[in-house]
Amino acid sequence: MSSEPIERRVSYIGDRLRGSRCGVCGKEYFRPRDYCGDCGRKSFDKMEGVDFFYEKGKLEVCTVVTEPTNRFTKLGSYLYGVVSFHDGKVRVPGRLTDRILSEGDMDLSNFEGRDVVPRFRKRYAVSQSDIIPTISLAFTFADEYYPHQDYKVSKPRKEYETPGIVGYGVYVSKFRIKEGAMERSLPFLDEDAITAAVEAGKLSLIHSGVDQSLVGKVYVGSESNPYAVKPIATKVAQTLKLGEEEKMDGVQGVDAIDTEFACKAATSMFKDATALAYYPKAPTPYTMVIGTDNSQAAPREEPGGELDFFVGYGGSAFIFGKHDVIAEVEGWYSCTSDTPDFWRRDLEPYPRHGGRFTGEPAYFKHIAKAGIKLMEKLNLQPGDVDYFISHQPNIPYPVRVAEALGFKEEQYLPGLQVAKFGNTYSGSSPIGLAAVLDRAKPGERIVIVGYGSGAGSDAYSFVTTGQIGEKRRRQKFTVQHQIENKHVEYVKYETYRRFKLGL
Amino acid sequence: MEPCPVIIGVGRTKFGEHYETEPEKLVLEAGLMAETSAGIERKDLDACYLSDYFLQITNKIGIEEGFLSEWLELHIPMEKSRSFSSALLNACHAIQSGKYGTVFVGGVEKMTDRWDKIRDDLMLLEDPWSYYAGCTPEANHELMLREYIKKHGISGKSLDTFYTALAQIAVKNYGHALKNEYAHNPHGATSVDKVLKVRSEEHKPLGRYDFAPISDGATALILASPEVAKEHSEQPVCVVGSSSATDYVTFPSREDRTGFVASRIAMKKALETAKIKMDDVQIAEVYDQSTLLEMVSLEDLGFTKKGKSWLDIYNSCEDYKGYYEVDGRRLFVNMNGGLKADGNPLGATGGAQVFEVVKQLNDEAGERQVDADLRFGCVLELEGFGTKAYVHLLRRGLA
Repeated sequence: MSSEPIERRVSYIGDRLRGSRCGVCGKEYFRPRDYCGDCGRKSFDKMEGVDFFYEKGKLEVCTVVTEPTNRFTKLGSYLYGVVSFHDGKVRVPGRLTDRILSEGDMDLSNFEGRDVVPRFRKRYAVSQSDIIPTISLAFTFADEYYPHQDYKVSKPRKEYETPGIVGYGVYVSKFRIKEGAMERSLPFLDEDAITAAVEAGKLSLIHSGVDQSLVGKVYVGSESNPYAVKPIATKVAQTLKLGEEEKMDGVQGVDAIDTEFACKAATSMFKDATALAYYPKAPTPYTMVIGTDNSQAAPREEPGGELDFFVGYGGSAFIFGKHDVIAEVEGWYSCTSDTPDFWRRDLEPYPRHGGRFTGEPAYFKHIAKAGIKLMEKLNLQPGDVDYFISHQPNIPYPVRVAEALGFKEEQYLPGLQVAKFGNTYSGSSPIGLAAVLDRAKPGERIVIVGYGSGAGSDAYSFVTTGQIGEKRRRQKFTVQHQIENKHVEYVKYETYRRFKLGL
Repeated sequence: MEPCPVIIGVGRTKFGEHYETEPEKLVLEAGLMAETSAGIERKDLDACYLSDYFLQITNKIGIEEGFLSEWLELHIPMEKSRSFSSALLNACHAIQSGKYGTVFVGGVEKMTDRWDKIRDDLMLLEDPWSYYAGCTPEANHELMLREYIKKHGISGKSLDTFYTALAQIAVKNYGHALKNEYAHNPHGATSVDKVLKVRSEEHKPLGRYDFAPISDGATALILASPEVAKEHSEQPVCVVGSSSATDYVTFPSREDRTGFVASRIAMKKALETAKIKMDDVQIAEVYDQSTLLEMVSLEDLGFTKKGKSWLDIYNSCEDYKGYYEVDGRRLFVNMNGGLKADGNPLGATGGAQVFEVVKQLNDEAGERQVDADLRFGCVLELEGFGTKAYVHLLRRGLA
């Protein structure tokens, strides 16, 4: 069984790669400490907290581990080595992740000396009832799928009357399965909904340039939280240091909460995030909304297995606020009915899909209703809208609903990403929104309608601002980058099932 | 010169798998042998110093000292530490202080009882942070090998020679162990080609024959003051120098990763205490958890030059005569087969190293006896991956 105090201490340090720098001599350490080893007592009170979470490291030397210890056995063979930061000032042990080793990989000189990026991952396998251990002593090569990006906080230049999106990030892993017209993303063995949430949140901070300590609330929407009870949002808040850090107590001054409503657990919170910026007595400067899922599906031969053809893996994060907005929220409309089209009972591993309600009375009815009502409210015609995005459980549904609402291909295709990533559940329509924001010009109108089984829809209208272009330069890891990347790795069905199950 | 503590008897069990025997019985067996060879009775003991790394975890055993008290009907002071060398170091201090006259030092480990989890335990013991990052008991050796090759610019044909030298260490140690009735694993690789073949099959720089096995076993010795030794022993061996040093627990965070700073410091201090020179040492038992560690230890102890050890080994082993030849000087290394072939039951390992040097100094090593007039020997024991190093320098005779 896990020791909660050990897990708490190890992940507090390890998830963020926290350390110290001596204010007297500048020596740096992995793992926080009160004194410098060289300077001793005179460094007391002069040790500065540092972390290596956003840093670029270098793989000094490495070896191939072919016989891991018990808890790492599921990873098979992997590269393990010495990683240095800050030109060798600090060195840590590290495992290279996102890599299926082949015979050709055995020439270690192909890897040594290359830049690496820390990745937040599950640490190792534990039993089903244990706390899930995590760590960022996992790395990928900076010249491959996932580039190194600085997190630079920028001083806000402009305050807007209407709040909106100030930054966003999308994360899907480099692993895909390709079947017919569909490519779908899947997690590496050490990834899950929690790691995708942290990764997406990290990318949204990088893109927005928002000071992490000004994020007052974080929502994490998911239907594949590996815990029945224990929020993902706490991991996100602590690892990303959201809100004012109360270092002495090891807490963050932020409200963090998980939400669940099938695939609309994140889109539902966009309006809450928008509204929080307004509250006059205690305005929240920034709010982060994450949608993350290792979308669940039973094996194909089992009940519910039909979903296995469509599910993806990934996360999206949007930061809302009133400063340096890239897309203002113009309005919203939500509708709900108790329609049992898709469900998962407690203790069941996979969701069920009755089939009776799926299309017409569930998906189409709610999305169409929300879309039409929103446009009525805002007095919009389809021609006034530049981009339309809806929830994307497969390819035909979003096409059909877009056309039913009067939209043309050039309006709905840019946001249609399901053929590349699969249905990323809570991340599905938000990833479509991100793909559109990646290309939209200032002054364009985007309508997005999320959908969650059970059932309900949230429709929003965004209008992009003049700042959308300048922020785009901050993000290399765009949706397009994750689609058209020569490091994307395709796997067979058996590998896909194994990776989805994970450590 | 301060009076040196004297080893008046040594004992050990066979190393290997002892699945029928409880750990406390193993240490009794080794202890009885040590007492017999010292010619003392248990009532003569003033104190016991014991060592084991993790019997509590591997064997769900309670307070080890209590078992010994119960078996021996003794109520004398008993202290427990991790490595045999650390128990011996503490026992030496006690003798030197004049507090005790006759002390029992015993080490035991029973690792095969926890076969399924032992590598995880070993790694957590070595460094939890490296474990969290995916390290294995073998991986740090391989990283050190990479660092060594890079730092000393070994490539091309030299690299082949380097790898051959490491294989020669394995073959040499297996060869030594064939003459050691207590050895865990004497029947390993009989040829360099076999070692190289296994490495290439495993796609590893160091293969199965390069690493020490996981063993059970116990060792013991009786340490006495010079006064007691004069009465009891005809073949006393003095501990003329004993020292230890400590290094960071996390290997990657160390400045020099091509050897062990702790070994260097411990050797330097031990030589200072003993007032002898490195050149005086003719026989050494070093901590070869891997063939690489035997090689770097020769450098750390000062026997060979930094970055050149492998050349001395290669030149000595092309036509091995039973010793390494360094600058025209003979050095007998790991005559019992080393950890590699004699075995490595952690808490007992140092005792087997001391056992070998004592037997060799006393001309009692039987088939393994080296052909030299030995006076000084050296034992290097490590804890973790060079996190701690202990050096004991032994001398034949009381003066």
